Amino acid sequence: MSNKVYWRGYEELTNDVEFVKNADKEFNLPAEYDPSNPSSSLENLSNNRRDFLKMLGFGAAAVSLAACETPVRKAIPFLNKPEEYDPTIANYYASTYFNEGEYCSVLVKTREGRPIKIEGNTLSSINKGATSAKVQASVLSLYDKERYTGPQASGKPSTWDVLDKAVSEGLSNAKAAGQKVYLVSETIVSPTTQKAIAEFATASGATHVQYDPASVDGILSANLESFGVRAVPAYDFSKAKVVVSFEADFLGTWISSTAFSRQFAQTRKLINGKKEMSRLFAFESIMTLTGANADYRKAIRKSDEGLYVLALYNALTGGGAVAGVKDAKLIEQAAKDLLDARGRSIVVSGSNDKNIQLLVNAINNFLGNYASTIDLGRPLLTKQGDDAKFASFINDLSGGSVGAVIFYGANPVYNHPDADAISKGLKSVPLSVSFADRPDETAVLSKFVAPDHHYLEAWGDASPKKGVYSLTQPTISPIFSTRQAQESLMKWVGRDISYYEYLKANWKSTLYSTQNWYNNFQDFWNYSLHDGVFEPSGNNPRKPADETLVASVGAAIVDAVAGNKTFNFAGDIPSATSAVTAEYGKGGDGFDLVIYESVAMGTGSQANNPWLLEMPDPITRACWENYLTLPKALAEKLGLKVKEGKTGLVTLTLGNQTIEIPALVQPGQHAQVVGLALGWGREVTGKAATKIGKNAFALLAKKDNRLQYFRTGAKIDGKSESYDIAHVQTHHTVMGRPVIQEAKFNEYLKKPNAGRYYPVVQTAEGEVPASTLSLWKAGSVNDRPNHSWGMVIDLNSCFGCGACVIACSSENNVPVVGKQEVLNRREMHWIRIDRYYSSDAKHGDFSAMEDPSDEPEVVFQPMMCQHCNNAPCETVCPVLATTHSTEGLNQMTYNRCIGTRYCANNCPYKVRRFNWFSYPKNNDYDYNVNNDLGRMVLNPDVTVRARGVMEKCSMCIQRIQEGKLNAKKEARRPVDGEIKTACAQVCPSEAITFGDMGDAQSSISKVIAEQKDERLYYMLEEINTKPGVGYLTKIRNKA
Amino acid sequence: MSDSKKYLIGVYDDDTVLLEAIYAIRTKGVKVLEAFTPFPVHGIDDALGYKRSRLPIAAFMFGATGTTCAICLQVLTLGIDWPMNIGGKPNLAYPAFIPVSFEATVLFAALGMVGTFLVASGLGPGAQKTVFDPRSSDDKFVLVLDLEKNSKFSQEQLSLFLKESGASEVNDKEIIG
Amino acid sequence: MQVTSDVREPLVTGGKTLKDVTNDICRQVEGRPSRSWIIAFVLALITLAYGTYCLMMTWFVGLGLWGLNKTVGWAWDITNFVWWVGIGHAGTLISAILLLFRQKWRTSINRAAEAMTIFAVLCAASFILMHMGRPWLAYWTLPLGNTYGSLWVNFNSPLVWDVFAISTYLTVSVVFWYIGLIPDLATIRDRATNKVSRLVYGTLAFGWNGAAKDWSRFESVSLILAGLSTPLVLSVHTIVSMDFATSIIPGWHTTIFPPYFVAGAIFSGFAMVLSLMLITRYVFHLEDYITYAHIESMNKIITLTGSIVGIAYITEFFIAWYSGVEYEGYAFINRASGPYWWAYWAMMTCNVVSPQLFWIRSVRRSLLATFVISVIVNIGMWFERFVIIVTSLHRDYVPSSWAMFAPTRYDIGDYIFSFGLFFTLFLLFAKFLPVINMAEVKAIIKSASEPDPHAGSKASKLGGKEVEVTDSNH
Repeated sequence: MSNKVYWRGYEELTNDVEFVKNADKEFNLPAEYDPSNPSSSLENLSNNRRDFLKMLGFGAAAVSLAACETPVRKAIPFLNKPEEYDPTIANYYASTYFNEGEYCSVLVKTREGRPIKIEGNTLSSINKGATSAKVQASVLSLYDKERYTGPQASGKPSTWDVLDKAVSEGLSNAKAAGQKVYLVSETIVSPTTQKAIAEFATASGATHVQYDPASVDGILSANLESFGVRAVPAYDFSKAKVVVSFEADFLGTWISSTAFSRQFAQTRKLINGKKEMSRLFAFESIMTLTGANADYRKAIRKSDEGLYVLALYNALTGGGAVAGVKDAKLIEQAAKDLLDARGRSIVVSGSNDKNIQLLVNAINNFLGNYASTIDLGRPLLTKQGDDAKFASFINDLSGGSVGAVIFYGANPVYNHPDADAISKGLKSVPLSVSFADRPDETAVLSKFVAPDHHYLEAWGDASPKKGVYSLTQPTISPIFSTRQAQESLMKWVGRDISYYEYLKANWKSTLYSTQNWYNNFQDFWNYSLHDGVFEPSGNNPRKPADETLVASVGAAIVDAVAGNKTFNFAGDIPSATSAVTAEYGKGGDGFDLVIYESVAMGTGSQANNPWLLEMPDPITRACWENYLTLPKALAEKLGLKVKEGKTGLVTLTLGNQTIEIPALVQPGQHAQVVGLALGWGREVTGKAATKIGKNAFALLAKKDNRLQYFRTGAKIDGKSESYDIAHVQTHHTVMGRPVIQEAKFNEYLKKPNAGRYYPVVQTAEGEVPASTLSLWKAGSVNDRPNHSWGMVIDLNSCFGCGACVIACSSENNVPVVGKQEVLNRREMHWIRIDRYYSSDAKHGDFSAMEDPSDEPEVVFQPMMCQHCNNAPCETVCPVLATTHSTEGLNQMTYNRCIGTRYCANNCPYKVRRFNWFSYPKNNDYDYNVNNDLGRMVLNPDVTVRARGVMEKCSMCIQRIQEGKLNAKKEARRPVDGEIKTACAQVCPSEAITFGDMGDAQSSISKVIAEQKDERLYYMLEEINTKPGVGYLTKIRNKA
Repeated sequence: MSDSKKYLIGVYDDDTVLLEAIYAIRTKGVKVLEAFTPFPVHGIDDALGYKRSRLPIAAFMFGATGTTCAICLQVLTLGIDWPMNIGGKPNLAYPAFIPVSFEATVLFAALGMVGTFLVASGLGPGAQKTVFDPRSSDDKFVLVLDLEKNSKFSQEQLSLFLKESGASEVNDKEIIG
Repeated sequence: MQVTSDVREPLVTGGKTLKDVTNDICRQVEGRPSRSWIIAFVLALITLAYGTYCLMMTWFVGLGLWGLNKTVGWAWDITNFVWWVGIGHAGTLISAILLLFRQKWRTSINRAAEAMTIFAVLCAASFILMHMGRPWLAYWTLPLGNTYGSLWVNFNSPLVWDVFAISTYLTVSVVFWYIGLIPDLATIRDRATNKVSRLVYGTLAFGWNGAAKDWSRFESVSLILAGLSTPLVLSVHTIVSMDFATSIIPGWHTTIFPPYFVAGAIFSGFAMVLSLMLITRYVFHLEDYITYAHIESMNKIITLTGSIVGIAYITEFFIAWYSGVEYEGYAFINRASGPYWWAYWAMMTCNVVSPQLFWIRSVRRSLLATFVISVIVNIGMWFERFVIIVTSLHRDYVPSSWAMFAPTRYDIGDYIFSFGLFFTLFLLFAKFLPVINMAEVKAIIKSASEPDPHAGSKASKLGGKEVEVTDSNH
């Protein structure tokens, strides 16, 4: 696999005659190249004396050039250009990402036939153009050099024929022997795949089992019991005035967090004249993004969760106090606010306990939220896992009654607590097949591996929500000898299909008929494929003339999924209540271990992705492994010395399980709770992630077959060994400095500029604003004749998810540097999200101010180059490698930089990054840019920086340029919103507004005009750097 | 050239004696070619009637040139050839030009003046100036009379003068040049 | 020539005659190298070799081998640079300023001090190269335009000022030093017994023959060079201090830096001269030329500059508080009480406390004490630069970026390199060139040494006249 050559153009792939003929020639363009006559080639050249002299001259020139410049790599030009694309011009294809229950409709940016970037699809009513870090990183997973290059039989490379023969036989044998056949998958959101599976099942007698590593079986069962619908309802946080969350991190990882963030952000924005804001209560045991963004947060003990939910239910319905709930003040306040916002509120719980979810349903039902903010009629389909079914599968497996098992996008040997049972059981199964496209714990135990395409190579569709459909289309022809899983399934039951045709046919038969504004299927298909989404009831951009038609069509679909049906709550509250009171509040004096999904790793299916491995966790700001989060008190009890990222190892004991793991002190965590993230500790995956961190799935508990994401009675013992966790931020408080400016909502209503800090300087003329003092007369250098690019970041709607960090790395070829370099404080991210905790210490007691309070308020601040108009970095560069553009950008000229690092020292925001080593093609940094395949993800519009030069945020200058050129070609000005930086494009909460401040009509100009005397502030105004990036004050909706 | 020059060399042990001697001999109307000493003897140039060196003027000129060049360079490059927005400062931020201008002044002045000195004194790598008595760079003070220039005195008279003025020894030297 | 006073101690002891001076000083140039010299030279070469290895590593592998990070972009590299430049100030200062002040006691130390200056500046320059991410492009800091048209250098950048200041300083110092050498080289040439040295020193001597005319030019040249070097030497460290003073980092952005750095430079420079002279004096038996008088007056200057530096430290603190700027205030509190408190207090003890011992005459005149304190002072001055650079950078404006710096073996190795370079050059100088300016010593020997049996009588007889002559000369 190491000597594998990756094609660099269709010609090479298809062994085009012209290509092969010229491949070995140094100059395969004829001296007089005639575009109109592509067939003209070296053959037609008469090599006479003059040509010889020409060549000689050119040779000499070339040699002397090569001497002083890096040698030019050979590039084979298109002799016959594929009509659908031009070199250097990006093509975008609509597609669909679905993984780990996370759905996003996306646009895939391709260059010269390579997908290089994922953008959100604004036509989707689910994610509305937002994407998450994991979605952004998925393009890199495509270029993982450790993917299977072809089918495997008992661990060795094999051929499809051998595999197909063996598998079909195996299946028929199993059928003949009357043994069970299982198809195990995570939630399948694709209707067509489900059809294929159904057909396969009937033909092979297989049982299809779906499970979710992050299971919401509790919600599904609760809804089944309460409303007769086994589904996750569609929440609409944008409609909610009050949200109460019990352990549900709906802004970070819970169910459809990206979409939820987009919705919730609408209620947090205080711009465009909007003066109202939702209120978020969070009751949680560990610090999550939701808690960090909550107006009121209470650290509760995980094993008391049920009691708090019950307490809220009682407080609302006038029931009595609940024993075991100490200090119910916040519960009462939440109840009061909820009652004021009946029908405009949402209560959610992240628990996988049916009883708790029943109570939550009861609460929402009592508040009348089902009619408005929670939609059961058109529920989410992204989580359908059935823990009970999966348990029976494990029983059969251990019972040895299974004749064949096929794993489709499932890796239970890693991501299920019963991994041992499964791996033991697998040994005795005659036929085991995995569709894994890269090695994983289950695949290596399976007899056969029939690698599936990566989604960027595959056809597919998805229905994340009733009545919402979207398509997945290939954006690159398969890199390896992989095969669409659906085709494999069909083949094994003796059907040769092209999944593309199969998909089309299915859409024709099912969806085409549900609409009637495309009067032939081809149009319907083309438009749907182009848009990526088909939402008959949603806001389809291509509406027919007759609106009523849409309505009726929409109605048709909605009826089909019983949309208008009113749901009557039928849950059994008393039994739930008694169960809860019986089971909760029994934590004892041991610790509760909370097992959570981390924002970067999720459940670990993309573990071998360097971008995600190095993505700092939004809360802990640590990366490259998981760790046990401890409350401060415990750390002190264990005598753990934690300073500057240095910490120690602890042993975590649960019954007979013991793991040794680094500890990280987490403010805001309940004193009896420790936390551990899922998704790490992969045993079998790529080089980057194998055996990094500890596998938390092994610690999951089960309660009537449902996975429980916490354990009680954990014992933690300190160890003497010290340990370094790679942090990108080791100081957690803002030290009372006005870099963060915030106010409470009621103060803000009274005084819109509440919390603003205006630095002043004493002069002979008395106090003057610091920004008015300058050594220089205001000259013309800062005039902006054309554009004036700038950014405004709303601290109130930045939830800290970190999607921008990965989007930026993807767009700007930011290298991954590995744990040791992060420990050395040399991570290269151009944008970082500073996270600050509040401190209880009084100003002036500096050493105390460094300690966060135990119940801290949290604020996130995206920080990238501020593009100062008076840039300190520019003045000090001896060689003018960084200067200011006439469009207000602070520009970095990499090839002029000699690396004195003076600019970085003189940058008050510390946003400049230095290339300490050569990161590409360096075996010490063996990540994606160290191999041909990995390098295919690089953005050709952005220089890969050499060793010894400085780099930093360029405000995506290449995107600005592209936008300007497109506009120029059409002889117009760029339209506002046409040009977006990668971070602004990806932001789920639309916290980043980028645009032309010179254009009075642009959204950024409007925000600035509206907010300049209110919430708008610039970092460190007192040093008069005049940044081009502004921030809107953080507003907390609390008394 | 085969014509030979004859010199009379008075060797003294002490600088003060030498000074006295020069005064004494010159009052007798004898033309002194040059005195050679191991270290700068104060007052000797007055004694020999040398004028004050004009090197300071040279130094000043060179210095002035340096300043001009430096200022021109900075104005031309940053102000005219390629004006750029550097940290929002005006293209010609004169205060920032002071250090370089100053350094250039000193550099030009120093090198220029030293160069002039070497040329004027005919010094330079490999240059060989007549050493009448090698001890003159050690502890002896040497007074040299050119016989041709003092043709109105006989060699005997001259050596007598030298002896009277305190020369520890008097030698004559013929240089074929 | 002044008349010898009874109050002033002799600057040259042991009743030396002109001849003795020549012999004493030419001895180690003409003789074979002494064992102690050979040992020292071998040690220096070994140090240089190891340093060169580390240097090559940092150049070939990358600056990542150092302990720097995104927050602390300079640490040992620039600390060492400023430290060496500072040391490089004493030589010119001694030869220039003391010449202008007609401090005759400088004569027997200025030669070695100037040599030390040159080598120290070379070491400093090596760190300018070293600290660059792409040192092979160092010439881009010169106003050369560039291959693609007229891209020039940024004359607003203190680093460009540095380039001009350091290169000018180096050139002028070399010239000054060499001009002073010429007559002594001539002496050696005229004493030379073998062809080779006659040829070599003959070439180097530029054909000097001690003619009175040349001497008079020579003197005005030295005087003007001194006049030029004085502002130059002050400007160099002023400009170096501007690397920090013109920035916006709390703890760097300080108007007091230029005088404070210059004082510091003289301080460390004199300390280094003392350490070296004490060794040379011992090794080459120059007790009669480098006398207690010299050592004592140097110690006095050290005490003075040390106190100036101390006042500067305190002033910084006061202004930080008085300015009312939060960041400034924290920067200094953090220096004294933050994670790098030990560096700060090391600096305080070495630079402010230790030189005060020189108020005691016996300490001032004790060779051992002088040597120890002079070394301590240089350690302290190194810490001063470390404190200024690292403690200001590691916690500046935005707390999220606060970080720590710890040196790696390559930080240390590259520092060792500069020592190797310095001592190798200095030992070569000490062996092959006269470490003491013979001509100048001879010029003062009568006025400033014990009565001279040979010249005594005549001198007294003619005393009166000379005074007039000299006066007319001044």
